[in-house]
Amino acid sequence: MTMLKVVIVDDEEPARKLLREYLSADVDIQIVAECANGFEAVKAVTDLKPDLLLLDIQMPRLDGFEVLELIGREVDVIFVTAYDKYALRAFEVHAVDYLLKPFSSDRLCEALDHARKRLAAREQLPVRDLAASARSGAKVERVLIRDGSNVHVIPVSKLDYVEAQDDYVCFRSEGKRYLKQQTLGEVETALDPSQFVRIHRSYILNVDRLARLELYAKDSHAAILRDGTRLPVSRSGYARLTAILQ
Amino acid sequence: MAWTEAAAIAFPMCLLYAFVCMASWYLCRAIPLRETEILRLAGTHATAALLCSGMWLVIGQALAVLLDATPYFEGIDERYLSLLPTLFLSGILLFLLAVSFNYLLIMLEASRRSETRALELQVQAREAELKVLRAQIDPHFLFNSLNSISALVMADPAAARRMCLLLADFLRGCLKLGSEATIPLIEELRLAEHYLEIEKVRLGSRLIVQREMDPECENCPVPPLIIQPLVENAVLHGVARLLDGGTVRIEARRNGAFLNIVLENPFEPEGSSRNGAGLGLKNVKMRLANLFDGKARLDVEQTDARFRVELQLPCGRP
Repeated sequence: MTMLKVVIVDDEEPARKLLREYLSADVDIQIVAECANGFEAVKAVTDLKPDLLLLDIQMPRLDGFEVLELIGREVDVIFVTAYDKYALRAFEVHAVDYLLKPFSSDRLCEALDHARKRLAAREQLPVRDLAASARSGAKVERVLIRDGSNVHVIPVSKLDYVEAQDDYVCFRSEGKRYLKQQTLGEVETALDPSQFVRIHRSYILNVDRLARLELYAKDSHAAILRDGTRLPVSRSGYARLTAILQ
Repeated sequence: MAWTEAAAIAFPMCLLYAFVCMASWYLCRAIPLRETEILRLAGTHATAALLCSGMWLVIGQALAVLLDATPYFEGIDERYLSLLPTLFLSGILLFLLAVSFNYLLIMLEASRRSETRALELQVQAREAELKVLRAQIDPHFLFNSLNSISALVMADPAAARRMCLLLADFLRGCLKLGSEATIPLIEELRLAEHYLEIEKVRLGSRLIVQREMDPECENCPVPPLIIQPLVENAVLHGVARLLDGGTVRIEARRNGAFLNIVLENPFEPEGSSRNGAGLGLKNVKMRLANLFDGKARLDVEQTDARFRVELQLPCGRP
């Protein structure tokens, strides 16, 4: 019998206690960590590589969906929450199950059975589709970046520009660089189009940071940012930029 | 024709016709403008106009004959007869004018009634809405509390029982207080106390409560459940969203004829959107506007990481 490594994530102590109590009846379950917030959860997943996450949704700073966005599809998830309004979103991110508080131990067993079956079948889903589908049109207010077991939360207002770098995008904020495995197109659709403009195949600019535009060759411009950074502007990027600035 | 002659016959006739025209009011009431077909309407009023004008002239004729018998007014009869077509026509016109005027009055009255009715309905709707608001208990609060009880049952039965009792007190308080017009401030704060005790079980050391209450305002009358939504906001959208929690500060002070209540809590400025926080505040604002007619205020102040609401209510000397 293989052990199922489980991480419990809930900001409420009684709720964690309850899950621990319920799970103690299952001999094949090993609780490898109890986390009181999303940051701890990301760290636990990185360090301990669990099979299953029992994940609360409403938590301080990072909610359950954001945790999932950061950890991708490394681990299966059962959501545990008092709110039924997230059920559809949970379904969209392929959660194993969705438990509504308060729940019985039988109901938890049922959810665990689903998880075991899915683990046995090892159905892995692509990471990116998931994060994108979970967003479904809503614009992000902050960018979440996972750096090993650390999480950086950058409010979009503090973003200067975003640069494409091979398989990654690089977020520039307050002089720092943050890499994330994503395409620039995905970033573009997630950001507010009245604030962020795709000025070039490889650049998205926060228009607030723009100091001036310079013509530096026929048909091609350069954007000079407040901090002096120079970014290339393509012809179509120039058209988009001037449309926004008017 | 001398002016005395004209006065002698015209004055009684005018008076008479004024009564006739006023009487057309009953006719107008009997056949309302909107519910009667046009032909019947026109027919009835035309007939009535002809009849009234005719009868009026007959009476005028009788008067003229009577006056003609006196030596002073001799010859009045003929002169009256020469005016007959003019008088007949003006009789009809005057009657129709009176009819239109009556209809206008009826319409005005109806529109004023319907306006009052609309206002009454609006007030009723608002009251109904308030009742719902007052009785509103966040179901997720219940679910989370029940989950905490479920967790405590095995590990700490005494704490589970205490939680049950707190929850029962809170629910009973909400139901009871919600049906009163005003309650003493102390009762409202006691309810908030129960709520905070329950949330403390859930949030543990993350929730700290600090109270400063001027004993003088314990008995100030306040609308029930006016502070409760603010306390819930402070917990759900403030402290509960902070990794390390924080302190909710409640202060009640008397300031002349006013009662000042201040609620302060830290919040996470970079947290995901504070959806829902605005709704509670909006509801409280609306209730205050309804109940105190501009004499109560709710000021919201938001600095970097602190959220502060100040509620000011009029409060007569106890």
